[in-house]
Formats: sequence, C-alpha cells, structure tokens
Amino acid sequence: MITFDNVTKRYPGSHEALTQVSFAINQGELVYVTGHSGAGKSTLLKLMAAIERPTTGTVLINNQNVSKLKESTLPYIRRKFGLVFQDHKLLYDRNCYHNVALPLAINGITGHEAGKRIRAALDKVGLLNKEKAMPITLSGGEQQRLAIARAVVSRPSILIADEPTGNLDRNYAEDIIKLFSAFQQVGVTVIIATHDALGNANYENKVLHLNQGKLVNVELAT
Amino acid sequence: MNAWLTQHAQALNLVLRRFKTNKLSTLLICLAIGVTLALPSIMYAVLNSVSGLANNVKSESQLSIFLASDHDENAVASIKSALDANANIKTFKYVPKEDALSQLQAADANNEVLNSLENNPLPDAFFVEPSKLDTDSIENLKNDLSKLDGVKEVIVDGAWIKRLNYLLLIGKKAMLILTVLLAFALVAVIGNTVRMQIVTQQAEIELSRLIGATKSFIRRPFLYAGGLYGLIGGLFALLITFGVIAFFNQSLTPLVAEYQTDFSLSQPNLITCGLTCLLALALGLASAYLAVSKSLFKANQ
Repeated sequence: MITFDNVTKRYPGSHEALTQVSFAINQGELVYVTGHSGAGKSTLLKLMAAIERPTTGTVLINNQNVSKLKESTLPYIRRKFGLVFQDHKLLYDRNCYHNVALPLAINGITGHEAGKRIRAALDKVGLLNKEKAMPITLSGGEQQRLAIARAVVSRPSILIADEPTGNLDRNYAEDIIKLFSAFQQVGVTVIIATHDALGNANYENKVLHLNQGKLVNVELAT
Repeated sequence: MNAWLTQHAQALNLVLRRFKTNKLSTLLICLAIGVTLALPSIMYAVLNSVSGLANNVKSESQLSIFLASDHDENAVASIKSALDANANIKTFKYVPKEDALSQLQAADANNEVLNSLENNPLPDAFFVEPSKLDTDSIENLKNDLSKLDGVKEVIVDGAWIKRLNYLLLIGKKAMLILTVLLAFALVAVIGNTVRMQIVTQQAEIELSRLIGATKSFIRRPFLYAGGLYGLIGGLFALLITFGVIAFFNQSLTPLVAEYQTDFSLSQPNLITCGLTCLLALALGLASAYLAVSKSLFKANQ
C-alpha cells in the first residue's frame, strides 16, 4: 500500500530530515512510527500523505510514484488519507459539526448524505452530543477525538496520526489508541507516530523506529 | 455536471454565510465600490443628456447667406437655382432687404433710429437649412456657397454648438480617464478586502490543502466574494446615480422652464445599467483572482 525505497528528504538550508529510509506497509496494518522529537517522524508522515515529496528515492502510494505525479493530481492522492495532526488544526470559527464537514465539502459531498456521515463519525468518537459545541469549549481529549472524527469522516483507506496521545493523560491515551485499533479492525491501514507508543502499545504491531532521520529497525512490538 | 454545480453552490453558500456574519463590513465595502462607480456613471449620464441636447439644437442650425449690396439683377435668380440644385440643402428661404427692414421695424420698438436712416443698410439674404448636420458637411457647404457669384458672406449660425461639441468631447475623454483610474482604485480596494479575508481564513486554507483540496476549490469562494462585491457595488452605483439625477432634475425643471424647453437629465437606460453591473462584476472577479492567485502562490513556496 505504501512503499518507501531509499527515501531521503532534505529541507532547503537544513540537515537531512530522513536518510535512505526503506520499508513497506501493507493494507490493514497498524504501524507505529517512534523516535525522539526531531528524529523525522513528522517528515515521514508528510511523505506518506503526499504533503511533501522526497528529495531522492521513491515513495509509492497505491503503486503511484508520488515524485512523478503532477502537482495538480496531488490533492486527489491526499484525499485517500485521513490525517490527525499533532496540533489538531481544528477551526475555531465553527462548531464541531462544521469542522467535521470540511473534508466532505472538499470531496463534494454536501446535504443529507454529508449530515449522515458527519453524525456517524461524531458518534464513533463519542462526540455526537457535542455537535453544536465550539471546539474551544472542548477538553484536550475531546479535541483530539474531534480531529479523529474529521479524519475518518470521508472513509479513508489509510489513517495517519501524528502524536495523537501527546498531551493526554494515560486513560485518555488508551481510549484513543483503542479507537485507532477499532478502525484497523475494519480494514483501515493505521499509522501512528508517537514518542512513547511502546509504553502503552501491547499489541503485536509493526514499529518503525527512527533515530536522527535513519530507520533503526522494522520490528514487531513485544 | 451535477458535481460541478454542487461545488459552485457550495462556494456561493459559504460566501453568503460569510457576508451574513460580517454584514456591516460587507455593506461598507459595497458602498465604497458603489460610490466609486457612481462618479463616472453620473458623469456619463450628464454628458449623454447634454450631447443629446446639442444634437437637438444642431438640427435647428442654419446658414445665412448675405449678398453684396451691389449685386446685379441676375445674382438672386442664379443663387436660387444653385441652392435648388444642391443636394446638401434641405430648405432655404429668400428674404429681400425690404422685407428684412420691415421685419426689423416690426420687432424693434426703436423705430426712430430706423426711420432716420437714409437708405436700407440691410443686405438681401438667403437662410439655408442644411440636410446633413455634422460639422464637416456644414463646413463644406459653407465653402461652396461662398464661391457663388454675388455672395458677400456666409455665416454658420450656432458656431457655439461646435464649441460645445468640442467641450463635450473633452468631457467624454475626462470621463474615460476617470473611469480607468477609478477601476484601478477598485481593483486595489476589492483585492485588498479579499486578501484580508484570505488572511483570516488562513487556517482553513492551510488545512484544506493538507487534506486534499484543489487550488480551484480554495480559490472559488474568494472569486465569488470578489464578484459579489463588484456586483452589489454596481447596483449601489446605479441606485446612487438614479437618486442623484432625480435630485438634479428636480432643481433643473424650474430653470429649463425659463428657457421654454423641457430638458432634463436622462436616467441610465437598461443597457447602461447592464453594462455598469457587468463591468463591476468583471472588476470584482479580476481583482479577487489576482489577490487569491498571489496568496496561493505564496503558500506554495
């Protein structure tokens, strides 16, 4: 589903964020990307979601080479992903319902069909009763769940989350991880970047561990 | 087709919602655009009316041919036949000097002066109404008539119309320049407003790009906003124009009544209204397009 082959990413005027990274992620896997901050986790996720392009090497998404795609086709690749951002990127000028509505609007889905999907997504993360609430009134955990609802509302085949448990206490973090597992169980490929995933991930999952831009090992968590 | 319509309805809906939440600022921007557009629009209406008036007066213009006082007997007859033959002449009238004197006596109360004259100082005259009224053909006709035997002088009545027409021409040029300059001002105003909106929507734009919005999806609501600003501004401009002209006409009525005419400034017709709105819409769209393209380009780097 996602294949990295000798991928190097260098930002202009900066060191190499990723150096010669190679791995493959299959459909329906739950993969953790771990490493200290600055190890290149976010860069890896951005390359996966076709937000950035590799400096050298190839990134294949559904057998499409991202580096060779035209700029104008990238948006359509990005729609295959559900993204949960490190800083949530919630829009504070509209309520929860309209926050979740944005990806559907981008996909051209509006009206009754959109309403159904939005409520289903909010229900899945347990925020159905907060439909009309403004994001600023939500707790940190609720904001995180709202971000997840927005990521899954357009039913993506790949869900990518950057530090989804970063600022949450342990109970909340476990809830969130359970939520992601639930998506994996229905066939969604889930990729989670975290600096402490191994602490609370007692599942048999693939782990991509990064150290200073290099992939240290591809292993199954014990 | 359906998806295309949905996308546009979506963008329009979004823009109208934004307008609704910022009623006052939207109104003020549209008013600013309206006032700016009203200036050339009013100027156009005034110039149009005045040049219509000039055209009317012109049709009453005529040439006076004064004969030399010592012209021979046959001159009058030969001029008459020459005038008859000239295709550029609609009608003409011969007034011999005796008739002219008696007309003057009838019109002028100061008969003592006239009676004290030993002989009639007035020349025989023809009054000619040309068939073509533009400046060039009148000028040509004047030259032709001057060459006839026994003609002392040909005077074009209403040379002031010529001057008025030149003034109107200058006025029209001034209007054109004003329109172009104000169009630039409008592009700046609308472009700036749209740019401000882009700044306030920056979070949404950035997020939308990250989750797969195309450039045109992001650009569309701003184009609608710009176009709507222009269109609403254009309608305001028409309202202002209609109001101002009606207001002027109120004061004009007693004035023109003194001159026994029924001149009034004419309101813009349907075509002028349509063109004004279209121009405003186009300006709005163009300035929004410039603003959005620039900011999206910047976001790309």
